Amino acid sequence: MKKTLFLALVLVLAMLVPMTAMAQATPLRFMYYIDASQAGYAEDQAIWQKFKDDNPDIDLQMEILFNEPFHEKLGAYIAGGNVPDVIYMWPSNRSSSAILHQMHLMKDLTPLMGKQFLANFVAPAINPKAQPSGYLAELPQSITYTTVMYANKKLLADNGFALPKTYAQLKAMVPRLKAKGIQVITLPDGDGWQMQSCLFSTVVGRMLGDGWVDQVIKGKAKFTDPGYVAALTFIDTMFKDGVIPRADMQLGYGDGPTLFASGKAAFIIDGDWRQGFYITDKSTGQALIPLDQQSSDFAFINFPAIPGEKFPGVVSAIQGVGLGISAAIPKGSDKEKAAVRLLQYYYSPEVQKIKLETGAFIPSLKGVTSDALEPFTQMMPKYYAGINKISYVLDGVLNPGVCNNYVNKGLQEIGLGNKTPRQVATETEKAMADWRATQ
Amino acid sequence: MARTIHGRSEERLAYWTMVLPAVLLYLLVLGFPIVISIILSVSNYNGGKMFGGEPWGIVGFQQYGKLMRDPYFWSALKNNVYIVLISIFGQLPLGFIFAYLIYRKIVKFGDFWQGVLYMPNIISVIVIGIMWAIIFSPNGVIAEIMNRIYAGSISHQITQIFNAAGGFNITDDVVRQLINASGPVAGQTFTDPPTELKEFILTYDPNNLELLKHDLVNLLGTKWTPTFLSKPDIAMLPVLFVILWCWTGLYLILFLANMQKIDGQIIEAARIDGASEGQVMSRVVLPSLSGVIVNAAILCIAGSLNSFALVFAMTRGGPARVTELLSIYMYDAAFFGTPNYPLANAIALSIVILSMILIAITKLVEKRYGGRE
Repeated sequence: MKKTLFLALVLVLAMLVPMTAMAQATPLRFMYYIDASQAGYAEDQAIWQKFKDDNPDIDLQMEILFNEPFHEKLGAYIAGGNVPDVIYMWPSNRSSSAILHQMHLMKDLTPLMGKQFLANFVAPAINPKAQPSGYLAELPQSITYTTVMYANKKLLADNGFALPKTYAQLKAMVPRLKAKGIQVITLPDGDGWQMQSCLFSTVVGRMLGDGWVDQVIKGKAKFTDPGYVAALTFIDTMFKDGVIPRADMQLGYGDGPTLFASGKAAFIIDGDWRQGFYITDKSTGQALIPLDQQSSDFAFINFPAIPGEKFPGVVSAIQGVGLGISAAIPKGSDKEKAAVRLLQYYYSPEVQKIKLETGAFIPSLKGVTSDALEPFTQMMPKYYAGINKISYVLDGVLNPGVCNNYVNKGLQEIGLGNKTPRQVATETEKAMADWRATQ
Repeated sequence: MARTIHGRSEERLAYWTMVLPAVLLYLLVLGFPIVISIILSVSNYNGGKMFGGEPWGIVGFQQYGKLMRDPYFWSALKNNVYIVLISIFGQLPLGFIFAYLIYRKIVKFGDFWQGVLYMPNIISVIVIGIMWAIIFSPNGVIAEIMNRIYAGSISHQITQIFNAAGGFNITDDVVRQLINASGPVAGQTFTDPPTELKEFILTYDPNNLELLKHDLVNLLGTKWTPTFLSKPDIAMLPVLFVILWCWTGLYLILFLANMQKIDGQIIEAARIDGASEGQVMSRVVLPSLSGVIVNAAILCIAGSLNSFALVFAMTRGGPARVTELLSIYMYDAAFFGTPNYPLANAIALSIVILSMILIAITKLVEKRYGGRE
């Protein structure tokens, strides 16, 4: 009998101990964004596993998605009033992040993380005025350059070309490369944002400048202004010249790197975040572009000079993505402390070094370096160093409804040859006027 | 008498007791969201907590007005109408004909064809959407086949031109023939095709004619791309084809199951009286299934207006919104960019209203022309 009682007691205790531990753990819902097919995914997962192991008092409930499904799911959460506790978010009006900023659904990280902690970041990354919320709703993990021209310089040299400095030189490549079955530039725009974010923002920055964009937002300039129509016309010209094939308008964002890495396109225009896609995935030892070819055969260059540009060399850039904390978490609660601990961990030099080594981004945290960087990751800061002036990324400053439905879709229409630059400009101005009327 | 009244009220109470939980559940799950949707469609609610958050109120029918003025609404509605039409006038007749062919054993291996035609119904629509998106992609199977055909054709012409010229003998006439063979392609690639193409060809080694011919095939050959599928009036064609392929089998099964309930002796009698197969189908089988056809049509209409997953997975309404449906338009209004919940709810209600109108029309048609089962 005693033996039975003892066994029952042991059984009850065995059940109670983990239940008590579970009951004490603070649940923390974390919505995170990463491409599972990207190099560095395994290292990224190890980062979060370490956090879980080191913090048994936090029950980290991660939901990982990528590209539009992330924004759509987060949009549904926001609509349902079910905002996750910690969110990977954009510092701008990009998709799902727009409402997080506009409705002030995230906490101000400046007082929460503390001045001492934030002093470790480069100044532009912690500028609260750069975020639509007007405060630091998200802590940018990097400064993002959205237009990088990834060039296959070996392929160009094999066909008798040097890296282009002007658009005319780029256009001159079309017949020779086409004869070899190679397209000059690939810029897949099937998802609708890439053309605007990765090229057109730079074109507007060079042909019109940020001052004009500010005036448009204030209603003192119009999308029908000749300069904006000229910027759209330049995009139209790139399609008409065959520099970008119209078929790219039907390709998804994920199709570009494969075309570029396999030598079917001499250039890909993409954001700086994409360099990590080509380097070695340590979990498999495979790289889309082998390590020994990265610096010898490839280069990151600024987009060539555009006819009629007023601000030469300008490239669109914006505060990078990062983590934010839901404003719904009670102040001073265990959950808030858990969320802060998560951010302190993520932005620690150790974790940021791993992100740098896996090519995810060039951290905004000062002093993060490594001796184990692949050439592509080393080449990106050199690319940054060659940029003298930056300009707005349009989806970071324009109203999302106008930007998504009229600027982005309009660029697709031009690419497909369905509408003229003037038609797109007129429709965008009408949408902008409607939006201004509601303000 | 008093006992009867008492009995009736007791009966009513019993009915209510039994029905009330289901009614309450129905109201909670369906009635409440519908009412909230109507309220939101005439409100200025713009996200956050509905109760206890930012104040919001009723502002009238602004969103409905906005909807009526938005060309994308009409484009989405038109695309939905296309789907309704292909469903009613494509899936149903084809499903009926296939079912009849199998039922009357006009085709051999009826069970096999039944399985083949029903197969798409057991595959996830997301998988179907992605599969067809890849097939129709600029780098997909169709493009690959078409480009091989085009390349074969121009390769043959280029070879003939050089053979006639006696090899690497680049005269103005040879260049002109090459330009003619290319159709509009040379004009799209060069500003001044005769001069620039000649200069281009002369950069090649005369001893390596095969390389030149190979490169000219790439340069002057027409590249088949599905960009024509992005034109507003024909962009829906592949989507409609996939919808037809996907769901015709469902109606085949529905019609076949009901045909098997028809008394075989009636059909035998009709055949003995000299009725042809066509007459049996149109005068005997079709009227017997009129009720089933109406129900199938209602299913079709509801499914068509609801269709979201397949088109979302296949095109996401793109490119440039040319394949957008009302449901995708509603989804984007609610969850893409800055959400506009009142507009999304106005779109949702427009879908409901449209469904009710179409179902009413179907009922009227059945009443007017339908047979008796």
